[in-house]
Amino acid sequence: MIRKQDFKRIGEYLWEIPQTFREDMRVPARIYADDALLEAALGERSVEQLVNTATLPGIVEYALAMPDIHQGYGFPIGGVAATRLPHGIISPGGVGYDINCGVRVMGTHITHEEITPHIGELATALYYNCPSGVGEKGSIKVTEAEFDDLCVKGARWALGRGYARPQDLPRTEESGCLAGAHPDKVSKRARERGRPQVGTLGAGNHFIEVDKVTAVYDQDAARAMGLFEGQVTVQIHCGSRGFGHQICTDYVDEFQSAIKKYDIKLPDRELVCAPFDSPEGQSYFAAMACAANYAFANRQVLLYHIRRSFEQVLAGKVSDWDVFQVYDIAHNMAKVETHEIDGERMQVCVHRKGATRAFGPGFEGLPPEYRAIGQPVLVPGSMGTASYVLVGTAGSMEQTFGSTCHGAGRVMSRAQAKRQVRGDKLRGELEHQGIAVRAGSLPGLAEEAPSAYKDVDRVVEVVQRAGIARQVARLEPIAVIKG
Amino acid sequence: MSRQANFSEVEHTADWAIRVRGATLPELFVNAATGMYSLVADISAITPTVEREVEVESVDAEALLVKWLNELLYHTETGGEVFCAFRVEAFEPTHIQSIVKAGRGVELKKQIKAVTFHNLQIISSGGGYQATLVFDV
Repeated sequence: MIRKQDFKRIGEYLWEIPQTFREDMRVPARIYADDALLEAALGERSVEQLVNTATLPGIVEYALAMPDIHQGYGFPIGGVAATRLPHGIISPGGVGYDINCGVRVMGTHITHEEITPHIGELATALYYNCPSGVGEKGSIKVTEAEFDDLCVKGARWALGRGYARPQDLPRTEESGCLAGAHPDKVSKRARERGRPQVGTLGAGNHFIEVDKVTAVYDQDAARAMGLFEGQVTVQIHCGSRGFGHQICTDYVDEFQSAIKKYDIKLPDRELVCAPFDSPEGQSYFAAMACAANYAFANRQVLLYHIRRSFEQVLAGKVSDWDVFQVYDIAHNMAKVETHEIDGERMQVCVHRKGATRAFGPGFEGLPPEYRAIGQPVLVPGSMGTASYVLVGTAGSMEQTFGSTCHGAGRVMSRAQAKRQVRGDKLRGELEHQGIAVRAGSLPGLAEEAPSAYKDVDRVVEVVQRAGIARQVARLEPIAVIKG
Repeated sequence: MSRQANFSEVEHTADWAIRVRGATLPELFVNAATGMYSLVADISAITPTVEREVEVESVDAEALLVKWLNELLYHTETGGEVFCAFRVEAFEPTHIQSIVKAGRGVELKKQIKAVTFHNLQIISSGGGYQATLVFDV
């Protein structure tokens, strides 16, 4: 059991477990948190999972956790680990089953007042046009041959099929296309699971949400993103569906042998890994990139359905019903990046599991309009609570390999949430708050109750005060669509 | 041992977990599958219409359990088969041959994306076996 006394306080919002805490640690473990968030993390096994992450071969500087840390499997959720290339490891469990699970935020030219009379109809249109639910299939047909193209091109595939606008792509992490994807590294089973699900939301904690901007903290950054107070915005939270799940399953199984081959000792088998430059590591990275591109394409097709829904419901009722992309960002991914470590520019493989890339101003991969403000970071809250748009900072580049939090972070188990919250009652409460709810499963809704999550305001406050992101705008929900 | 005592839900913050027991390893496997599908559906109400042979191999008993359960999940997602009855025909710690029965068109309460290896260890205790499985949901 790890206790608060085991930590050294490094800063007001930064805590460290020294490398000496456990013999197998290769680096110290660090958590960004205030007292209350740290206490919440100590109530479960997430900190132990972070210490386990600190044992990975090739890990540099620190095993890091964001303030939304909570218990996952293998890595904690909210975990960041960078390994030195070329020989440091890559771990499928460090990315997770939902490869490139992420968030896309869109803006509109519609105000909250304008949309209020139509919000129920819009929520219904979104629910029917954006397929959701367990194992749901999409309305988009993708042939076997075309599927390879999708895996390699990601959002660019969607552009070719007419589901994207050219200006959507630069406003997507990696322009919606992660390099290095090789469909021949993906199993037949993964293809079978993924091909029918393009353009679907799925179930669990995935959602589409219509929001209103209730506060702007940084006018310049908000202006660059086209955001203003009182505006209606839309969020998508989903990933690579059964395709990513199968790829992770395949490689976690295959890597059980790889750890023996490379004589890697691990405290948890879900952390299985292989040297990045090994045949196994390269194969996983190529397959993971296919899933990352699938997820970019998936969220792009969902944006197409959202645009259709806005047109269906609002054409002729508001002056401009257009939906434009603000940014799309992954929060389950392994990326090859160059960071400054001990004064040396070093190429590393950054695993972010339930953590968001948050590159600061000047990053060349950003579209010109965002280069001065830093990369947009999208932090969804729990259902019914606020979400935030942030930007990456120079501080995130210096401290966290350009990473920050990804959400509120759970505090209550799903089983406990189901015992404490009734789905129909929760829906009634949300509707009473003026939030239109369209959900396929009421028990599923109960598991995602706001009381099951940490306070997103507190999480965002910590990352801002720690200097690893800066607040731009606050969003509050007016419609929630879930599987 | 009653079916209720064969598996129980364990608290896990983000995902789902069950603790499974069995007098023998094959029984542990059957109870794990029964426990997993009990989380997502009322399997006592399923009338099986599909029978399938599922055979897998892996490096050890833990990896075999994960692979076998993931194999079942694959058929659930691609074929809509919700499994309710499991029989082990041949078993070694690195190989299982089984006959499983499923119904189609069953409403799922929840989706299990995958079975994980997280802290997975099959422990021999008191003349039987025990394991805790964490599912990604």
